Amino acid sequence: MVTAAHPLAAEAGRDMLRDGGNAVDAAVTAAFVLNVVEPFASGIGGGGFMVIYLAEKRMVTVINFRERAPAGAIPDMFLEEGTVRRDWKQTSGLAVAVPGALAGWDYALKKYGTKNLSNVTKKAVSISEEGFPVSATFSLINKDECEKLLANAGENTCYLYQGFPFEKQDVLKNPDLARTIRLIALKGTDVFYKGEIAEKIVAAVKTKDGLLTKEDLASYQPVEEKPLRGHFMDYDIYTPPLPASGGLHIIQLLGILEKRFESGWHPASPEYIHIFAEALRLLFADRNRWLGDPEHEDIPMQTLMSPDYLQRIAERIHPERVLGSYPSTLIEDGRHKKTSTTHLCVVDTWGNIVSLTQSINHFFGSGIVPEGTGFLLNNHMDDFSPFPASPNAPRPGRRPLSSMAPLILFKKGEPFLALGSPGGTRIFSSLTQIIMNITFFGKTLDEAIEAPRFFSYSSGGSAFPLFLESRFPAEVFKFLEKKGHEVKIRGAYDNYFGGAQGIMLLRKGKGLHGGADSRRDGSGAGY
Amino acid sequence: MKNIIHTALLVLFLLSSGWISGKPAEKLPPFRQPLLISSAGQSAEVQSALILAKRAGLKASLIKSAVKKDLNGFETLALVAGASMKGLGAAGLDITDEKERVRRLVDAAGKKEVPILFLHLGGEARRGTLTDDFIKEFVSCAAFVLVVKSGNKDGIFTEICRKKNIPLVEVERTVDAVAPLKQCFSGN
Repeated sequence: MVTAAHPLAAEAGRDMLRDGGNAVDAAVTAAFVLNVVEPFASGIGGGGFMVIYLAEKRMVTVINFRERAPAGAIPDMFLEEGTVRRDWKQTSGLAVAVPGALAGWDYALKKYGTKNLSNVTKKAVSISEEGFPVSATFSLINKDECEKLLANAGENTCYLYQGFPFEKQDVLKNPDLARTIRLIALKGTDVFYKGEIAEKIVAAVKTKDGLLTKEDLASYQPVEEKPLRGHFMDYDIYTPPLPASGGLHIIQLLGILEKRFESGWHPASPEYIHIFAEALRLLFADRNRWLGDPEHEDIPMQTLMSPDYLQRIAERIHPERVLGSYPSTLIEDGRHKKTSTTHLCVVDTWGNIVSLTQSINHFFGSGIVPEGTGFLLNNHMDDFSPFPASPNAPRPGRRPLSSMAPLILFKKGEPFLALGSPGGTRIFSSLTQIIMNITFFGKTLDEAIEAPRFFSYSSGGSAFPLFLESRFPAEVFKFLEKKGHEVKIRGAYDNYFGGAQGIMLLRKGKGLHGGADSRRDGSGAGY
Repeated sequence: MKNIIHTALLVLFLLSSGWISGKPAEKLPPFRQPLLISSAGQSAEVQSALILAKRAGLKASLIKSAVKKDLNGFETLALVAGASMKGLGAAGLDITDEKERVRRLVDAAGKKEVPILFLHLGGEARRGTLTDDFIKEFVSCAAFVLVVKSGNKDGIFTEICRKKNIPLVEVERTVDAVAPLKQCFSGN
């Protein structure tokens, strides 16, 4: 079974499984197709994290293909006379980090797959050439981001229809991307990192005043590493370690909520939402203070995951009111952008599992398309802090902190759930809510994913609003306002809160349940 | 080809028999250049409006959050409706601030006798409570309304324009709006 953010990607992955491919083959197949049909969210111009469970070895491993800062990056590169230049961080060439997705997929395929690049790219090439109907989700995102696309990709880009946003059901064809993928299949990833595509990437970034060089691309390597492991109730979570911070925060949140959980709560209990929101705000304070790239920063991971630490946070939450103050030593402005990102899950016939989250950061990334290539470059340099004193400030070769959290949950030692979501800093909040819905509240996977969501955070020591989907009952909003939360109501099924995909493995081989989020175009396919 | 035919038919319709709804085409809209394009809701469709104006050969400027003084030197105000949380956030505005700004701008345009061209280019995807508030309040101030058809599926524009006797033109897609837009300015 495959669940992904677009039905064509899920079907392509399923077809690969049916043709004898394993979970890694299917995941990479689906990832290439997502580059075509959901180009605003992920692709070869971006990066991500893949969690793989190898059933035969009963082993979990992580492939980290997060982008890296170019060698020319410096800590204050986004400051001009002390003021943060958001345009530099988000829509200029400076926003582009060294892409890792293609290297990561290729690494996974060679080490754990059974197919080659030529096999796993066929469907992506054919869809690029023949085109696909644009969804309402795509159309609205395209409308929201057309200014960036006009500025960086121009009126003639394939990501606009004759210079204007696509309407629902318009057919998008991308022959440039088909040529690019075919070239990669033929010549291997070197053509992207060292050859003619590399030259086009560097030229495009340079035109927009960026720093990325051919040497930056040529030196990029994905990293295979041990997963971060957390435990709560009868469950173990396996997820990527830093710089992917989402898994850490899920483990922390579950630990805190386990300590404060009260019988009688349900997913829409205002008391539960209050405790959850305050836990998020307290965790954000430490996130800003401590987290960065572990290759270069000394991060107290053991402390941040310890029961004592989680107990202290749980005890700080006042049941009757918001704290109002959340200590932090760093000042950030706390703006939260709409981040794109995508997640897919695969379980194959042998019991191997892949949980893959990847991104080009904002919708349509930097908006920069290297000439004649048809793919978008990321703007993940925006995930660095603009403040030089931060452990997450940009420096040569560093990986920016990410909120991504692809995970595999085990119950009493057996694989139970593959899960992940896009959504920027909402990722770990949304995934924790889904896990709580399943494990504490007894919901099915689909009910857990579709249930209304909420999110809050702190920055600079202050609470930011509590955002909730409009489907919560009105009395919930009133209750939370009485406790001191500034309540902001968003859409009924708002993709601000992500678009989760999951696969649940039923006990004793009784089958699989797929769950795909209606907040985006999520879909599942199995056989 | 279908779109081209559709647009051509629209222009013929516009010239010969009158508007889709509202008052008959006794004369062309009172629009003159230069044209100030501004947003009502901060959606990115203002960029599409600017491209349309460029392709129609019109002298136009875009000020997303225009205020009264920005009308100086302009003969027409194009108000592009569409509420976007992203756009509002980027502009540092909430929906109440934005409505108030548009209210003042429309009021100033009325006092200066600058006619308003009302555009809704986001189609069905750019409808919803927030956008509808702008439509309900400001369409009636327009001298002419031009919309992408899917945004008028429920007839909201047809209804207001009929009641207020305002000419309305629907186009299948944004790119089709070039010809009617050009036509709107051709009489002056």
